[in-house]
Amino acid sequence: MANARALDKRRKSIKNIRKITRTMELIATARYKKAMDRAAAATAYTDQITKIVGRLAAAGLDVAHPLLEQREKTNSARVLVLTSNRGLCGGYNGSVLRTALPRIKELQASIPNVTIDVAGKRGVNGLKFRGVETDEQHLGFEDQPAYDEVEKIAESYLSRYITGEIDRLDVVYTRFISTGKQIATIETMLPLGSLADEPATDADDEQSKTEYEFLPSAESILEEVVPTSFKVRLFKCFLDAAVSEQVARMIAMKGATESAGDMIKQLSMTYNRARQSQITGEIMEIIGGVEALEG
Amino acid sequence: MTIRCVVVTPERTELDREAESVVLPMFDGALGVMKGRAPMIGRLGFGTLQLQTAAGPERYYVDGGFAQVEGDVVNILTARSIAVDLLDSDEAHKALADAQELPSKNPEQMQLKETAVRRARGQVRAAK
Repeated sequence: MANARALDKRRKSIKNIRKITRTMELIATARYKKAMDRAAAATAYTDQITKIVGRLAAAGLDVAHPLLEQREKTNSARVLVLTSNRGLCGGYNGSVLRTALPRIKELQASIPNVTIDVAGKRGVNGLKFRGVETDEQHLGFEDQPAYDEVEKIAESYLSRYITGEIDRLDVVYTRFISTGKQIATIETMLPLGSLADEPATDADDEQSKTEYEFLPSAESILEEVVPTSFKVRLFKCFLDAAVSEQVARMIAMKGATESAGDMIKQLSMTYNRARQSQITGEIMEIIGGVEALEG
Repeated sequence: MTIRCVVVTPERTELDREAESVVLPMFDGALGVMKGRAPMIGRLGFGTLQLQTAAGPERYYVDGGFAQVEGDVVNILTARSIAVDLLDSDEAHKALADAQELPSKNPEQMQLKETAVRRARGQVRAAK
């Protein structure tokens, strides 16, 4: 039977770790709620953009823009991988990297020039370990990515795309579907493909019959809508990644706290047994000693 | 006779209030909006959004985007909206100087530079 004191020591250390994991779970929950609110606020913006695009299409404008068109030949591509800066969030970073690597290999096989950008320390280290060279590293994104920061990145990609430095941009990130489900996905952001996320529903048919005046002209508005919608979409990726990270951490820490509880239960039982057998042993010794004296 | 003005940025709803009149900094000049204006969608430039409210005038710098007038609501979609008092004139001048330093060797670069300069000019004007 193990030493009772050693068991007690172990139990104490597990109790301390449980305290830490429980606190981390609470923090992740609070951050998750905040991140969720921000994501909801961004939705208000994207909805409006989609509406404007709908109105432009309703006005009979042919939605065409250089950013929307597929290039004939793709000479160079960039992949942006969104991971977290910190660990202890279960399989979050692992699944992003697992999704990203096959795509990177595939692109490298077909396109002469592929560059990888990463956001998050975990991704930087993970890719380095797997022997993938990275170019730009964005380490400043925590649970609340700022639009200003994302816009800078978006603008650098836009200008590279417009000047012909890159012909394609893929983003690998964790898409948030619900609290119980987040999936690591790859999205081709440039060329944009289509503007609206989903075809306009007939729900606001009534409103779209209103005649709109376009100032200065529908074409000029379109010229501005396309880059904006790219920026917002990239921002949405960052927000989704941030929310998913917090959810992943929340669940991982919840599991850790529960496992610590189970372990403590097990250890307590072993500890009590060890203590009891130690006491029994001591009593036996005393009785033996007394009997030896009497005899 | 008031009109509702809502300013939305990707991060949050920046402003939502009633105003007597709204002056929008359009791409090609200012545009005043009062109650009962015909529906419109417009492209904003970099400039100052002015609200005439019951509590007095309010001014915000907006960083491009779109304005949509529908019914008695003015929806403004912009990347950034800052109260004019919070703008730093020195910083704006510095941004303008930086923008003018940008290379302009081909049409694409020229376009990027032009946008940067316009944005910086808008900030300088608003910060005054």
